[in-house]
Amino acid sequence: MEIPFDIGNISGPENARVAQPEALGRAIKNAKRPLLVVGSEILDDSLIEKAIAIGKKGIPIAATAHSMKGFVDAGYTENVHLTGLHELANNIESRDWMGFDKTGGYDLVAVLGGIYYSTSQFLIALKNFATDPIVRCISIDRYYHPAARMSSGNISRKHTDEFKKMLDSVIENI
Amino acid sequence: MEELNIAPSKIEIEALKNVVINIGGIEEEEEEWETMGPTPMPGIADLRNWDYKLLERYKPFYAPYCEMCCFCTFGKCDLTGGKKGACGLGMAAQQARFVTIACLIGCSAHTAHGRHLLRKVLKIVGDREINMGTGINIEAPLTRLITGIKPEKLSDFIPVLEYLEEQIAQLLDSTHTGQEGSNLDYESKAYHAGMLDSLGKEVADLIQIVAFDLPKGDPDAPLVEIGMGCVDESKPVILVIGHNVVPSVAVMDYMSDHGLDERIEVAGICCTAIDTTRYSQKAKIVGSIGRQLRFVRSGVADVIMVDEQCIRADILEQAKRIHAPLIATNDKALYGLVDRTNDSVDDIVAILTSGKEPGVVILDPVKAGEVAVRVVQITHEKRKELVNILTDEEFKEYVTMCQNCDANCIVACPQGLPIGEANKAAAKGDTAPLASLFDPCVGCGRCEQVCKKHIPIVDVILKASLPYVKSEKGMIRVGRGPVLDTEIRKVGAPLVLGTIPGIIAIVGCGNYPNGTKDVYRIAKEFAERKYIVVLTGCGAMDAALYRDKDGKTLYEKYPGDFDGGCVLNIGSCVSNAHIHGAAIKVAAIYARRNIRGNYAEIADYILNRVGACGVAWGAMSQKAASIASGVNRIGIPVVIGPHGWKYRRAYLGRKYVDEDWVVYDARDGSKVQIEPAPEHMLVAADTYQEAIPLIARLCFRPTDNSMGRQVKLTHYMDLSMKYLGVYPDDWHIFVRGEADLPLARKEEYLRILKEEHGWGIDLEAKKILSGPVRKMDVGFDATNLEELIKKNE
Ligand code: SF4
Ligand code: SF4
Ligand code: SF4
Repeated sequence: MEIPFDIGNISGPENARVAQPEALGRAIKNAKRPLLVVGSEILDDSLIEKAIAIGKKGIPIAATAHSMKGFVDAGYTENVHLTGLHELANNIESRDWMGFDKTGGYDLVAVLGGIYYSTSQFLIALKNFATDPIVRCISIDRYYHPAARMSSGNISRKHTDEFKKMLDSVIENI
Repeated sequence: MEELNIAPSKIEIEALKNVVINIGGIEEEEEEWETMGPTPMPGIADLRNWDYKLLERYKPFYAPYCEMCCFCTFGKCDLTGGKKGACGLGMAAQQARFVTIACLIGCSAHTAHGRHLLRKVLKIVGDREINMGTGINIEAPLTRLITGIKPEKLSDFIPVLEYLEEQIAQLLDSTHTGQEGSNLDYESKAYHAGMLDSLGKEVADLIQIVAFDLPKGDPDAPLVEIGMGCVDESKPVILVIGHNVVPSVAVMDYMSDHGLDERIEVAGICCTAIDTTRYSQKAKIVGSIGRQLRFVRSGVADVIMVDEQCIRADILEQAKRIHAPLIATNDKALYGLVDRTNDSVDDIVAILTSGKEPGVVILDPVKAGEVAVRVVQITHEKRKELVNILTDEEFKEYVTMCQNCDANCIVACPQGLPIGEANKAAAKGDTAPLASLFDPCVGCGRCEQVCKKHIPIVDVILKASLPYVKSEKGMIRVGRGPVLDTEIRKVGAPLVLGTIPGIIAIVGCGNYPNGTKDVYRIAKEFAERKYIVVLTGCGAMDAALYRDKDGKTLYEKYPGDFDGGCVLNIGSCVSNAHIHGAAIKVAAIYARRNIRGNYAEIADYILNRVGACGVAWGAMSQKAASIASGVNRIGIPVVIGPHGWKYRRAYLGRKYVDEDWVVYDARDGSKVQIEPAPEHMLVAADTYQEAIPLIARLCFRPTDNSMGRQVKLTHYMDLSMKYLGVYPDDWHIFVRGEADLPLARKEEYLRILKEEHGWGIDLEAKKILSGPVRKMDVGFDATNLEELIKKNE
């Protein structure tokens, strides 16, 4: 069994299933309205390239923290939307929110590159309160996120190359 | 006070302030200093209507930190998936109950601190008159607002404390199993606890200001040294930790009475440090809570004296490790030590200096002060040969032992710091990665408890960062206390109109996402932009550690007045109350509103008119929870750092729900659709780059005039571009007409409004034809309260 990246972060009886990258990619592909949520850590280790690759597959990106700056610098802002993580969670939970494109809410949220503990709280909020209609959450990050439905396992920073390969495999399956 | 004897007849009460009236032999104090409002000493339900107004707009948002409940023996209950506990409580209500309890803990800490202070100072200095000097008439704005009492001497706080204690008991009762079932009502209770917290803080700070003659709103309060490098290790060092200054005052007094001022160093951590320097500038500030473990481990302290709050629970073990005796001075934190309050000073000194006991309890602050000073002179000599910092050899051995296993320390570290990688680099001779962990490390010690190699990681990081630690020397202006009424007279209008774009209140603990420098950056950015930047507690200390290219800290560079472009250290955590106080005084002095027992009206005034934003970037404690709730109830939004998500609850607005943003125009009761200003009440940001534009956004208020709106828009747009690389996507909703647009960029902005937001724009005439939510109206008297409509007619 995988342990949470922050060891004490076990919040309840149900924890995320550790999933292979192919399954994570397919989950994004099979969703009707998927959303990729990225945070400030995509500005490290050239992870932004992976986020952009996902964006180019037509998945809208919610750029939280100051990750927007990275997209601007990379010249890719096509389907990238500036938001705060708290605000985003609150919006996703709301039936009144019509998404960034104003056509409806999202049915799947994938997280990548957020600060571990705030992303964990983001996921647990959606798990408990984004229930009508239900929004499924997955993590394609280097951390195991028990509050998601499916999550990649912990991949240490010294194995960043492995992590990037994992992301490539997720992207291939979208 | 003059005395008059008058026959019973019609008298002009207004003219007879502070007069004792003898009527028919019965002496009664004249009470009508201001008409009493509707809610003096409000009970739990008395401000519920106001709370619900806030909660309808800023709906509670929950991110459970734990999805179960283990409060009673029916449990543990699994509350996931919409399930209720055995008592019938649902997930949302359980989260709100938890927040209520956290706020109650925080509010109890401040109130009990106030009660303890009052008891001690009445004995030490007697029942002093409350005289805040010529610049302050409204001596206790929160006390007047909440209780209707105008305190004139210290003992006048007794009924205020009795009110607080009763309310805390009532609220705590409501959290028992089988009581409240509504999350909204728990939120209202959390607000109530937050408001009580603000009052408790005011009482505590005013007591210490009056009793110890601390600065009474002095803009030129003196500068003192701060930082781990400012302590002179060649002298005996007394380290004081906590929040209750009385024993530290006794230390300073004893030193000064015995001519020891220059021979002994008194250094403090947390608010006791701030308050000790308000009393005597001979004391020094080591820093905020995050430095506690590291400074203790450095072994510099020859005696450690603790009082209450924010002390490490294992302080005795840490003190033993460095062979420094511990003196516990407050019954809230006794650490299993023997109570020697009634022993003679000579006996206690002998016990501590012989090492017979590792520490003692002394609940008499004056005695504790004497013991600390006498003991430190002896232990300093004895400890001279001790080496507490790792030697070069030990350091090398430890970093080489590290297996960079990445399995233990990194998952134990709340910051997820890459300790193994850094150790590995150090083993190869590069200590820079380890040294770079010093500041983001919060000094919790969780890492070293799990290392299978038993590496003392905190000590290893400390050793690697020693050159930095030795040079950590900042300057901080000592806590000035309240904002002067005279200052409010000057800034009231520009604040309400928006030409001073806001008050940025940086408060709270040191649980930052990425080290202390963020608070410096935030304070600097807003000071440069001529906001009023006020700081308290750990935030005030951490912002003082950095210097600009001219070698100046923020407190040296910017004046300490309450005015645009100034940086003020208001004081310790309890001094936060003066930030509420400043907002209340804007209503009282600038708008001439009656404040006495009139909480809802004043909070409504502040919400709609005073562009202030709290920033609790490293909020960690339960006190920070109650502080934020109190600030929110009075109508001021707060931005927290990412660890703040763990408080479980935020108050977030939804700007796209029009009906949430309707207020009354008090002139005629008409309903007005407004822009979302302020948009949230309690919201987290992940990084300082995200926080800065968000803080600027939360300074908009419906009553900004066009000039004020221009200034606020300019900053909001600039800051978003600077830190996020784009203009915000919502700036247009704050534009009410072309006069709101900053002149320098008017054409560019009009074009964006036309092209990106589809507004009707006459580019040639530079006119907005259609698009804004509403038109700017100079006489707009915004209120959320129906009861204010008629009153203002
Ligand atoms: S208080 Fe209620 S929810 Fe909590 S353990 Fe008891 S029965 Fe369960
Ligand atoms: S002491 Fe510092 S490095 Fe160790 S777990 Fe705590 S924050 Fe992390
Ligand atoms: S747990 Fe110990 S051995 Fe493992 S990486 Fe951390 S310091 Fe090194």
